[in-house]
Amino acid sequence: MADHILTPSSAFMDWHPPATPKLAASARETLTMASFAAARGKEQALREAISAAYGAVLPKSAGRVEAGGIAFVWAGPDQWLAITEHEGARDLEAELKEKLTGIASVVDQSDSRVVVRISGSRARSVLAKGVPIDLHPRAFAPGSVAITHASHVGIILWQVDDAPTYEAAMFRSYADSFAHWLFEAAAEYVSAQP
Amino acid sequence: MTAAPIGYGRQSNRLASGGLIDRSKTLHFTFDGKTYAGHPGDTLASALLANGVVLTARSFKYHRPRGILAAGSEEPNALVELRDGARREPNTKATVAELFDGLTATSQNRWPSLAFDLLSINSLFSPVFVAGFYYKTFMWPAALWEKLYEPLIRRAAGLGRASDDADPDTYEKATAFADVLVIGGGPAGLAAAQAAARTSARVILVDENAALGGRAVDDASEIAGNPAHEWVKMLEGELSRNPEVRILRRTTVFGSYDGGTYGALERVSDHLPHPAPGAPRQRLWRLVAKKVVLATGATERPIVFGGNDRPGVMLAGAVRTYVNRYGVVPGQRVVVFTNNDYGATTASDLVRAGADVVALVDSRPEISDHVYRITNETGVRLISNAAVTDALGKRHVTGADIRLGDGERIELACDLIAVSGGWNPNIQLTTHLGGKPVWNDRLHAFLPGAVPAGMSLAGAVAGDLTLAKSLAGGNAAGSAAADESGHKAIAVPVPTAIAESDAVTPLWRVIGYKGKAFVDQQNDVTEKDIALAEREGFRAVEHLKRYTTLGMATDQGRTANVNALAIMAELTGRTIPETGITVARPPYSPVALGALAGHHRGKSFKPTRLPPSYRWAKEQGCVFVETGLWLRPSYFPRPGERDWLETVTREVNTVRNAVGICDVSTLGKVDVQGAGAAAFLDNIYMNGLKTLTVGKCRYGGMLREDGILMDDGTVARLGENHFFITTTTANAVKVVQHMEYCAQWLWPELDVQIVSATEQWAQYAVAGPKSRALLQKIVDPAFDISDSGFPYLGVGEITVCGGIKARLFRLSFSGERAYEIGVPARYGDALIRRLMEAGEEFGACSYGTEALGVMRIEKGHISGPELNGTTTPQDVGLGGMVAKKKDFIGSVLGKRPGLVDPDRPSLVGFRPVDRSARLRSGAHFLARDARPEAANDEGYMTSVAYSPSSGHWVGLGLLRRGPERLGEIVRAYDPVRGADTLVEVVSPVFVDPEGGRVRG
Amino acid sequence: MRIACPHCGERSLDEFLYSGDATVKRPDFAGTTAMDDFVTYTFERTNPPGPHRELWYHAAGCHAWLVVTRNVSTHAVASVELARDVALAAKSATKDSAS
Repeated sequence: MADHILTPSSAFMDWHPPATPKLAASARETLTMASFAAARGKEQALREAISAAYGAVLPKSAGRVEAGGIAFVWAGPDQWLAITEHEGARDLEAELKEKLTGIASVVDQSDSRVVVRISGSRARSVLAKGVPIDLHPRAFAPGSVAITHASHVGIILWQVDDAPTYEAAMFRSYADSFAHWLFEAAAEYVSAQP
Repeated sequence: MTAAPIGYGRQSNRLASGGLIDRSKTLHFTFDGKTYAGHPGDTLASALLANGVVLTARSFKYHRPRGILAAGSEEPNALVELRDGARREPNTKATVAELFDGLTATSQNRWPSLAFDLLSINSLFSPVFVAGFYYKTFMWPAALWEKLYEPLIRRAAGLGRASDDADPDTYEKATAFADVLVIGGGPAGLAAAQAAARTSARVILVDENAALGGRAVDDASEIAGNPAHEWVKMLEGELSRNPEVRILRRTTVFGSYDGGTYGALERVSDHLPHPAPGAPRQRLWRLVAKKVVLATGATERPIVFGGNDRPGVMLAGAVRTYVNRYGVVPGQRVVVFTNNDYGATTASDLVRAGADVVALVDSRPEISDHVYRITNETGVRLISNAAVTDALGKRHVTGADIRLGDGERIELACDLIAVSGGWNPNIQLTTHLGGKPVWNDRLHAFLPGAVPAGMSLAGAVAGDLTLAKSLAGGNAAGSAAADESGHKAIAVPVPTAIAESDAVTPLWRVIGYKGKAFVDQQNDVTEKDIALAEREGFRAVEHLKRYTTLGMATDQGRTANVNALAIMAELTGRTIPETGITVARPPYSPVALGALAGHHRGKSFKPTRLPPSYRWAKEQGCVFVETGLWLRPSYFPRPGERDWLETVTREVNTVRNAVGICDVSTLGKVDVQGAGAAAFLDNIYMNGLKTLTVGKCRYGGMLREDGILMDDGTVARLGENHFFITTTTANAVKVVQHMEYCAQWLWPELDVQIVSATEQWAQYAVAGPKSRALLQKIVDPAFDISDSGFPYLGVGEITVCGGIKARLFRLSFSGERAYEIGVPARYGDALIRRLMEAGEEFGACSYGTEALGVMRIEKGHISGPELNGTTTPQDVGLGGMVAKKKDFIGSVLGKRPGLVDPDRPSLVGFRPVDRSARLRSGAHFLARDARPEAANDEGYMTSVAYSPSSGHWVGLGLLRRGPERLGEIVRAYDPVRGADTLVEVVSPVFVDPEGGRVRG
Repeated sequence: MRIACPHCGERSLDEFLYSGDATVKRPDFAGTTAMDDFVTYTFERTNPPGPHRELWYHAAGCHAWLVVTRNVSTHAVASVELARDVALAAKSATKDSAS
């Protein structure tokens, strides 16, 4: 009767991301993500639980730490997003619910956002055309996180490495609008593509 | 620089050497259909002057012949239509437009030609066309206003023509941050940037021009014993090699804003025939700086005398710019007219360039040694204590009428009058935030008063007009700014410069002229207009400005404002500070709307949000509708269907008789958890929620604090401390904002966590008698969705299609047996395909917002049109839901007498008496015999639809005491669309009034 | 104008939404003068020039509600606090004074 496995589809309708040394982008759509927020009065317990389970020290303000293969990204006041690849059907919501019972609320966010990776020698210049954050290395470095927008598409932005490589998480429905903005912003560096 | 023979090739006024142009390349351009030659580095103005073209425009009101007054963005006259076709741009200043090969320009505001402009007949009527004439004319007879006067005035208004074609170029916006922002790349700005950049500070240097150097290059000064442009080149090299320095050329900082923020416009591609592939035409910058050094220099002001608008009367500094920057001498026989020491250095510069300087006319009776030294060295004839009263000539200066100190008049033949009336520091950016400038009695000019936080001044804008002081001031300001921004200052030596003199004795206007003396040339405002304004009582400077339109043109009166103020002061016997001040507002110079829009044009005006079924729906040929930012399927036409009505009717019938699927993913979804979640939701919903059991959902309404309905949706309880609520699509963001307000500000002591989950789930309504049968084919066998296992208003976490996580809700908006199935959004596309495939045997169809709307109207369910910001729960029949005992947002003010008045319009249904008639929402209800007046207005129609179930149009509306008037006939009055329909008041539930269908 | 969100740092005005007066406290719904109190709380405001204590929402950022002390004549922002902290402090102050 019910034996059809549904196949996942991309948030992008038809994206051909640039792949040049000046600007390269790609979508990360095989992630499992969950947001978690401390129950009242349980902030310290939450830190201890995460530290014990993953060896990660949760950033107190906008920041990102990686431990045990999971990236913990600050996502708002007393809120974090846990992100990792879901190979082997890993389910962060289930995992965290189990480890944080009574300490934090956990919500699956694997599909609510799509993560776009942006890198290249011109990545900062391109992002500056829509993101009103100071991305100079003195102001924003690997581990930094900003909740902001890229030309009116809300994003959570963080830096992965010094290349520089950034990742931007945005609500799924905005994916194509973001891609279109990125295409125009990168146009002067990347040969024009449809 | 040695004197070089003037004129070579066809560029009769081009010097054989000198200037920053590239003589090795020749560019060709056309002006008014004639082709001329120029060089890279030219502006259109310098190239025209090089070719001896002096007449460039006709003035706005009087159509007087005009030429080129200045060399920069302060130019009032030389406005041309640049380019043609889609990129044609009117009112472009020839002094700013950089020359490129193939450039075409056309003069404006003249017919049939620049040389023979018939509209100059306006000049004959000049006594009528004085300032403010339109307040006194074109009034009688009144009937002629619409038919004659207005069309005539409209045709005469404006200068150039905009293109009607779409702009083919793109524009960008960008943000940049700096420790030190230096505005102005002249000597002061360069010195400041150098001093700041030597520390570790992040520096942005901005200059309006393509080439840096400002006045130092324009005046061919010497810095550290070398020509200024060599010092500039060296500094440019140093700054360019510094990775923490960004130089923005061709960029105007047009506005100061709060918080150390500045708006700037970069003309990325204006100097090219078209932008390079992928490059924008222009880029709008938001510059955020900790410290700012303002080094914007000063603009020269003219002296007001008769015929001072004739082609060939130019600002002295501009003449020197043409000589030293562009290698062009704009005239062969020159009279220099001045009230300050800059006139002398102008004369000597012109002599060096090989021009015949006929005389230096200095208005001052006492002349400094500095001036005598220069006139002795150069042999220029000095006429002191004298003034040029009139420029002679019409389309070109032919001579100057001069009145000597003893009153005698002489006439000198010349083709160029270089005028220097002193300098006005470019203080505009200091006044944008309200800082009032301060009059300086030595320079006879306004200097900045209070400046924006974080700003310091350097160079001419600070009142340091001489090169030596500019360099020193810039150096000091740059170091201090870097230091204050946290980067320890490093001592940088200040280069030397020869001493200069800035001595000035004011002469604002010459008395006893014969012709017209202009103060604001672009808006054709004369000295007599100022006197007229004074006579009519408009003596305050803000009144003077608006009455005469002085200072209101595209040059913002930069060569006019101070002169006008000074003349008004003289006329009224006051000092200049007593008369008023001139305060500027952004933008400093015009900014294209395209640049302000940037990426946000056309379809990209706002982001577009695509729902999970979008790709599939497009494949079906779906027609979409914009709902906020979303594109939602509206209806799914099939081949052969005549119109939307036929399609929507089919969709409704299919749902009510079989089964239909609708993408409802766009409705807001919020996950609410915590020990205090139930109490929290009880505080914000008007109905009680504490009693909602786990595994059940309930309809919920939220009020504003003033008792008005804000939003409605559903509340599902997934666990003791876990709720999942939905909102309308339109209010999703607002409701989350409201909930966070309540959680953070009103009840921070509650243990509740709120997370938006709208995009996590793809959600489909599966509605119709066959809905359960369809779902049975995809819900995994472990889950019991029979009526007993999953009754109406149930909710469960299940799996579908062999293990895909899902949530099932048994809710109905359509009034049929219905469910909503949610899966993680990445499976949304696959699920709609699977549902349609599974539904084939039942004749399933997909339906959109149109059919969704028809069915909810048939069921009397309220939606957006009823939640219109003026209705209460009682108004729309939900009064019974409002809790009586608990506190919740809106509980108290919802009981205000005006909101519980039974006379308020309340929700009922309507059907047309003539069943074939169409109903329109927005129609107002009147008693059958009442006159259509506001006093008789009894309410209005909120939603209408053609009801396939009823076979005629039906409506919902708000009618005074509606529920008490069932059966009554009233008038639905809609004069806007020409409709006047008799309608019967009925129950708002047209289909299945007992509500049995939803429960199966 | 730029507002320094305690979580996100200084951000441009267009990331925020202004929501009104932060000095008014939601009245007791069961009090004897509840109706009058709620009318005053919801609708009545003085509007003097100078510093105001205002509620702002970091809409395009971290979604924190903020209490901003701002001079409405000059736009100078004197302080920015988390609304949650201000509200909790106020509640414990009233609790203290009530006990």
